[in-house]
Order: sequence, then C-alpha cells, then structure tokens
Amino acid sequence: MNISVKEWFQSGSPWVWMNAGAVAISIIMVVGLLGLIAVRGLSHFWPADIIQGSYTQNGQSRTIIGEVVETNEVLTQQLIEAGIDLPKDNEFSTRHLLKVGNRDVYGSDFTWVLEDFLSDQARPEMLFAAERREWGNLYGYLRTIKESGTEVARYEGNDKSTEYLALWDNLEARIQRALDIHEDILQIEKHEIGSINYELERLRLKERSLQLENVTDAAPFAEIEQRRKELDKEYEGLQQRLLDLYAEINRDSMTAEVANGKIVEVQLAKIVRAFRPNDMGIGQKGLHYAAKLWEFVSDDPREANTEGGIFPAIFGTVMMVLLMSLLVTPFGVVAAVYLREYAKQGFVTRLIRIAVNNLAGVPSIVYGVFGLGFFVYFLGGNIDDLFFAAAKPAPTFGTPGLMWASLTLALLTVPVVIVATEEGLSRIPRAVREGSLALGATKFETLMKVVLPMASPAMMTGVILAIARAAGEVAPLMLVGVVKLAPSLPLDGNYPFIHLDQKFMHLGFHIYDVGFQSPNVEAARPLVYATALLLVAVIALLNMSAIAIRNHLREKYKALEM
Amino acid sequence: MTMEAKTHSIDISALQRQNESLRMEDETIALTVRDLQLYYGDKRALHGINMDIPKNRVTAFIGPSGCGKSTLLRCFNRMNDLVDSCSIEGQMTLYGSNIYERGVDVADLRRRVGMVFQKPNPFPKSIYENVAYGLRIQGINKKRVIDETVEWALKSAALWDEVKDRLHESALGMSGGQQQRLVIARTIAVKPEVLLLDEPASALDPISTLKIEELINELKKDFTIVIVTHNMQQAARVSDYTAFMYMGDLIEFGVTDNLFTNPDKKQTEDYITGRYG
Repeated sequence: MNISVKEWFQSGSPWVWMNAGAVAISIIMVVGLLGLIAVRGLSHFWPADIIQGSYTQNGQSRTIIGEVVETNEVLTQQLIEAGIDLPKDNEFSTRHLLKVGNRDVYGSDFTWVLEDFLSDQARPEMLFAAERREWGNLYGYLRTIKESGTEVARYEGNDKSTEYLALWDNLEARIQRALDIHEDILQIEKHEIGSINYELERLRLKERSLQLENVTDAAPFAEIEQRRKELDKEYEGLQQRLLDLYAEINRDSMTAEVANGKIVEVQLAKIVRAFRPNDMGIGQKGLHYAAKLWEFVSDDPREANTEGGIFPAIFGTVMMVLLMSLLVTPFGVVAAVYLREYAKQGFVTRLIRIAVNNLAGVPSIVYGVFGLGFFVYFLGGNIDDLFFAAAKPAPTFGTPGLMWASLTLALLTVPVVIVATEEGLSRIPRAVREGSLALGATKFETLMKVVLPMASPAMMTGVILAIARAAGEVAPLMLVGVVKLAPSLPLDGNYPFIHLDQKFMHLGFHIYDVGFQSPNVEAARPLVYATALLLVAVIALLNMSAIAIRNHLREKYKALEM
Repeated sequence: MTMEAKTHSIDISALQRQNESLRMEDETIALTVRDLQLYYGDKRALHGINMDIPKNRVTAFIGPSGCGKSTLLRCFNRMNDLVDSCSIEGQMTLYGSNIYERGVDVADLRRRVGMVFQKPNPFPKSIYENVAYGLRIQGINKKRVIDETVEWALKSAALWDEVKDRLHESALGMSGGQQQRLVIARTIAVKPEVLLLDEPASALDPISTLKIEELINELKKDFTIVIVTHNMQQAARVSDYTAFMYMGDLIEFGVTDNLFTNPDKKQTEDYITGRYG
C-alpha cells in the first residue's frame, strides 16, 4: 500500500504512535524502577555460598573466607597506579567485594579482592555462617561447644564427617534452646516489666498531680504507696525470673576457627541463626530465604538498623497514614461543603479557593517547620500545661510525636481533599438536589442524605491522593515525630492503647537513615533497596484499599446519566 | 412547504373525553396568582400573571419555549428561591395563605406542593428507599407505616406490579418511563395537596407517555394537578383547564375544550393551529 507522508500524517497514525510511545516509556520506567529495587533488595536475603581461597599479594599468602557480594571490572592501569603489582596483560581486572564478616576480629565486614591474586577457590561444605546480635556475621569452622565454661564437644577437622555433623546438630539444638529463652526474656522485659513500668509512671504522675492540687488528705497517697509496693514486689519477682533466664541463656557458648586461624568464642545467646550455605540444597536455601524475608518484615531492627527487620517502621508508616486519613477526611470534606454549598460564590470565595490550591504547592519541609512551631511547641506546650502538668518538666505532647506528624501531614494534604470533594459536589446533578428539595427536604437534609453519599467516591479520590502524597513524605516528619529507633510501638496493650504522644519509625526515614547515616554502608545498601521496595508496597496496598472502597461506593452511588 | 400543510387544529371530539361541562365559577380554588412579577436579575420573566387554579382538576400550561410557563410552575413551590438572581413581586396563595409570606416554612410548603421534573431524577437508592425518602425526611420511621405508604404510592403510580419483586434493587436500573412513574410515586407518597408536573413526559417514549397520561387522569381524583407541556395534544387530552402563555404573559386561560376549539385570542389560535411557536 502506497501512501504519501502527508496522507500518513492526515490518517492520524503518527499521533497514535506518539501516544503509544509515551505510554510505553512510562511503563518501562515504572517497571524498570520497581525491577531494580526488587532485584537489589530481595537478593540480599538469599544465602549466598561462602567461598574459601588463598589470597597472595606481594608474596604473602593468607586464607580468606567470605560471601561474594559484588563483582566488577576495573582498569588494570588504575590499579597499577594505586601501587598494586599486576601484570599489564589485560586491560581490565576483575575484583570482588567479599563479605568476610567477623567484624570483631578484622575490624570491618567487607574487603575488595582481586581475582588475579585469588587461588584455590573452594566452597567447603562445613564452612558455616552465624548471624549474631552484635558484630555482624561470623564465618568459620566450628570447633568446640562449651556448657558453663566446660567443653562438651570438640572436632578439629574441616571435612564433612559424622563427628562434625554430630557437633553441628548439637550446636543447632543449643541455639534453638537459647532462642526460646531469648523469646521468654523479651516477653518479660518488653511486655510484663514494660507494663509495670508504665503503671509505676502513671502512679508517679497521679501522686505528682495530687501534690500540685495541694491535696492534704493522706488517704490517696497511701493508696498510691500501697499499689506501688505491690508493683515493686511484682517487679522483683520478674527480676528474679529474668536473672534465672539470663543465667540459663548464657550457659552455652561455642568456639570457631576463622580465616586467619584465630579461635573466636561466641555465646550462643548472641546468635540469631547459624547455617552452612555451601551444604544447603535449593529447597533449604528457599526456606532460609523465606525465613529471612519474614524476619525482615516482622522483626525489630538490630545493629543500628543494618540487620534484622523493619516491622516498627512499617507499623509506624501505616499507623501515621491511617491517622492522617482520619484527620484529613472530615476536615477537608467539611471545608469543601462550606465552600461549594454554603459560601456565597464571590471574590472572597474565589480568593480562598486559590489560596487552598496554592497550599498544595508549598514545599513539605515548610509544613514540617510549621508543625514543629505551631503544633509541637505551641499546641503541645499548652496541652502539657493544661493536662499533663504532673509530668513536667518532661514533655508529653510538647515534643514531636505521632499525633503531630499525622496532623502536619493532614494539613499538607487537606487541599487535595478539598479540591477533589468540591469537584465531586459540583458534579451532582442539579435535578437530584431539586428532587430532594421538592419532597420537603431542607438543604441540610438534601446534603446529608443525597448529595454527600453521591459525592463520596470523589471524597475517596481525594483521600487516595492524600495517602499517596503523605505516605511518601519524609522531610516534614523528621521535624515532627519520626525517629531512627523507637523503643516501642505506638499501639500496645497499655491503656489508652494508642499512644499519640509517642515517637515512631517510618519507612521513608528508615531509608534515609540506613542509606546515609549508617556506620556500615556496605551492609546497609541492600536494605535501602529492600526498604524502598517495601515502602512502595505499603503505599500501593494503602492506595489499593482506598481504591477498592471508592469503587464500591461508585457502584453504589453510580451517577445518573444526565 | 406551505403553512397550511403543517397546521392542525386539535379535534377535541376525537379525543373522546367525557364531556363534562366545566365552569370556573363552580370550582374550589386551590392556588391563586395575583399580579405576579418575576425577575431574573434585571430581566422581567413574568409580567403580572393573574390566575386561579381549581382544586382536583388538571390545569395545563402551554406556550412556546421560554414563555415562562416552567418559571411560573416553579413559583408554586418556591423552587425559584434556589436561583440566586431571582426576585418576585405580587402574591400567590395556597388555600388562602400567602406562599411568599415571611416566615413560611418552605420545606413544609414543598411537601404540600409536590413537583415532578422533566427528566426522571430518582435518587441512587433502592426503589423502596426512593419512595420512602420523603417520609423519612418527615421523621416517619415506623416500618409498617412506610411499607404501607410505599405500596400505596407505587400502586397509585401504576408501578407496583412491575417492581413489587425488586423493591430493594437500585432505582437506576429502571427504564425511563418507570423512573418517571417512580418519581411520581415518590412525590405522592408524602401526600401533597398539589402536584406540579414540569413536562413529565417529554423525555419518554410514546407508550410511557401514554401511561403517564393515564396516571394523571387517575391522580386528579386526589390531587390538584398543574402540568406544563410542550405537547398540545397532551394538554388537550389530559387537562381540564389550559393556560396559554407567551413571552411572560398569560394570554388566555380557560376550560380546555373551549380554549382549543374556540380561543378568544388571535395569538392562542395561531399557536394551537401551529402558525407560530
């Protein structure tokens, strides 16, 4: 078929191609972005093989053990200039970033090695890795197991013999025992002692407020003292149980030989898990992977957030966004209803509308500063003076916290809700309003029974946009309530259950913190990707629930075709 | 095409109406309009209208587009209050009490003077809830009362047999004709005294239109009906009295049969024979 360029242009196909191209580029960018963070983030949890080899540099040879984390090519010339003695045969040399662990022995977890100097590479099956609660991973060969300081089992070889396997099984059983005890200790420390402390603090505040009110009657004081004694007694009982448990958990230890031949002794209480990746099948590795992934989303962070999980951050993010939605929806809807339905449409209303629209363009950090100045210091300070005088000088609401963060973000997103709701209200057919009014309904009844339900999908659209904006916001949160590590969740079993005054963790801030503020950059980097992926997932999930609600409402109040 | 080809006077006898001999002097008057002037901003839309609307009769307003017949209709239940720039002079009474007096409860007035609009406007609720809406607004919450009223209203609107098995389905799934009858049912459920119909059949097909017309004939036993229509045959078929309006003036008002067969005014004759409009 022969058509001229002019005809081709007239036919409109270039236009279609251009549009399709733009869509394709957008999709590729989104998929590429998600793919990159998914691959980088999720591969971190896979138990990589541990390699062992001898590394010969400048005539000196040493054994190295570690996981290959990254491999890249560098210019040989560059290395030679850096003073490394290399043959000039190849233009490029391969180098590996090796996670050698044993930070307590070597000082750092990671080291770069050149492929050229590495020889006798092997993956011994009995080489093991132990994740510890401090000092990062340990890589080496298991040597002895000790109980209360006395050796109970020993094996010197590195081969896969039955004795070694027996020793390994022995270790795993003891680690499991230590983990169980650890769980009990956590339960007592965090929850039982935690709630006693909480109650003691409340008693102290009660006593203090009685003193502030100049109560002279001794009875309430005696009552408080009585209760305090009971709690102290309870506390002592728990303390004794804790001491016993600590003695139990610290009973076992093990020694291992690391790459440089040194023997390292580690208490089993400090080990989270031990595994031999070189001896694991793909199924075992998959299970290990799933366990690590589950730990990541469900556990507390360890080692300055570079290990363990990020559950508190997920929880904090979701909680903050939900609270923000609860605050912003009524506020935005009421404002929009007034602007659209009751306010006289004139110059002032138009001015207000422009101001509202412009509020959406104010940089978020400005909201953070406002939140700090107005909510935290002014409102919070006054609330403390009025209601929490007993706790002073320690601030209750006069310090950044969950409530102020949610309020600040609600303020940040309220224009979106107002605009979307106004849009929805203006789309309700006049005929429906008149139908209601003609039946003897007042304007208010018409609004409540007909107009607002019909506009509810538009309100949800506003909330969806608000969630999308708020969940990804980090800058203002740093000023009004987010912290690197929160000691407890803002929702727990202690009355009043939701602690709006508490500081909380947030995925967005967590990314910033782990990525930029971490002492162990190499270890933290994969977590940045993993956390970013999780943040995207959390926002997507929040949005999808909101969209599901909207679609349901849309179906229910589907607009009239007129 | 010549004018004569298009003209068609209405043959009243062909409509086979029961030829009641109606006389305005014998009627009880429901609504009176005295020297009503209505302005949209500076523009005068109604120029001193005077008329009496008889009780339990169907009164039709006819006239070309923009003649003010819908505007006048919307004055009866103060729907024009919703238009910001609208102002009204003159007097309008419902059974002797002034509609536009200060302190009149507009919501209550609208309950007494119900209105059905040109396009069906059911609420996005179930059929049942649409009809119950006006009752719930009045604070009636007894299920038995509402059930009975809904059934009565739907039966009166000749809709009961079609919807009795799907009362709790959305009203938006009904056909246009059904929706319009639903709106009529919704309006009569609050037992108004006057029923205002603003071109109720103009958006409907001929069969639905016929049903609405039959319904109007039934309803006039219980309600005073005022209907605005573009369709002169319809006015002739359903109404007892007809008012012809032109450019904001009431040109002629009288018994329908007389107005269509023997109009007093030249303008009326020209209009009903299709010479202009």
